[in-house]
Amino acid sequence: MITITHILGNARDHAISQALNHIEHDGRLETIVLDQQDTQRHRLRVNTDLGNEVAIALSRNEHLENGSVLLLESNRAIVVRLTLSQWLVFETRDIAAALELGYFAGNMHWKVRFDGVRLQVAVIGDPTGYLERLDHLIAEQKVIHVE
Amino acid sequence: MSGQLGHSGAARVGIGGPVGSGKTRLLEQIIPRFIQRGTNIAVITNDLVTHEDAIRVRRSGLIAPERVLAVETGACPHSAIREDPTLNIQAADLLEERFGPLDLILIESGGDNLASSFSLDLVDFWLFVIDVAGGDDIPRKRGLGVMQCDLLVINKTDLAPYVGVDLARMEQEARQVRNGRAMLMTNCATGNGVDQIVDLIAREVLFED
Ligand SMILES: Nc1nc2c(ncn2[C@@H]2O[C@H](COP(=O)(O)OP(=O)(O)OP(=O)(O)O)[C@@H](O)[C@H]2O)c(=O)[nH]1
Ligand SMILES: [Mg+2]
Repeated sequence: MITITHILGNARDHAISQALNHIEHDGRLETIVLDQQDTQRHRLRVNTDLGNEVAIALSRNEHLENGSVLLLESNRAIVVRLTLSQWLVFETRDIAAALELGYFAGNMHWKVRFDGVRLQVAVIGDPTGYLERLDHLIAEQKVIHVE
Repeated sequence: MSGQLGHSGAARVGIGGPVGSGKTRLLEQIIPRFIQRGTNIAVITNDLVTHEDAIRVRRSGLIAPERVLAVETGACPHSAIREDPTLNIQAADLLEERFGPLDLILIESGGDNLASSFSLDLVDFWLFVIDVAGGDDIPRKRGLGVMQCDLLVINKTDLAPYVGVDLARMEQEARQVRNGRAMLMTNCATGNGVDQIVDLIAREVLFED
């Protein structure tokens, strides 16, 4: 098991991206795939795509993100990749319904994003649970599940 | 193990769940097991307007009393572990300062409802404790805590026969709503099942095998 206590930088950083290019061709570039939720953690135990176990223990002020580089050696590197979050997209029939949907989403502590007249809800786990919760609004056609 | 990961700070583990489900009792079962393993620990408890749980843990004789801090949450217990965990973060930092390098800080939330959850800014891993006597329909109700916690603990298994609860069905439905994520059954009155909880925490955030 490899223990990581610092994030070395991001794969986007110029110097690091050059080193990674080199490793991608001649060495071993391993990735750790995380979802949005897991990037909020400061300690976690994960496997790389090559099956190596990694123990991550970061100080409270360091945060994982897409492209975080956890290991960078001359012929080996470990990089974090974020899975794309799934968003459910909703429209509402009228302003009253929009207020109701906004209130409901807040009450459920859902993470949302505003997109003009649409409300997007971040899905953690199974999306059907979210639609079930909104069933009463969808059935009355106050809320339309767009995608 | 002490100090090996010390510069990143102690692992922080939350214990949440409804009022009276057995969170403090679980703490009292977990503490001596970690001490026995040589884990350097400290504890934070959250109560509404008293220090009831902290006083109880301090008096238990299981851990040096000064390693137990109380946070008074005022109105909503979940605010102090999710929306604004500042008080708990400060308490954890204080414990680190006084007793560090610590391996593990256990944080008990005030008793709340099924929708309470921990911010991952505050903890690295959190348990949600529900109680068999609350009814075997609790997992089915898909509360946020039950769904999202890292480990669901179904406590007071000893009470099942007295409250007409079908344990096997409760376990199966809990598995279903959690999509196979971790879940354990305990009797915290006797300590049955607590070893597995300690093993899981040690594995996931202390990186022991
Ligand atoms: N029979 C039985 N009783 C238990 C068990 N676990 C806890 N209890 C009892 O249940 C009561 C409540 O336990 P606590 O540990 O205080 O519950 P809590 O979740 O900390 O309560 P709050 O902090 O007030 O929300 C106490 O009387 C415990 O002794 C168990 O597994 N079986
Ligand atoms: Mg308690």
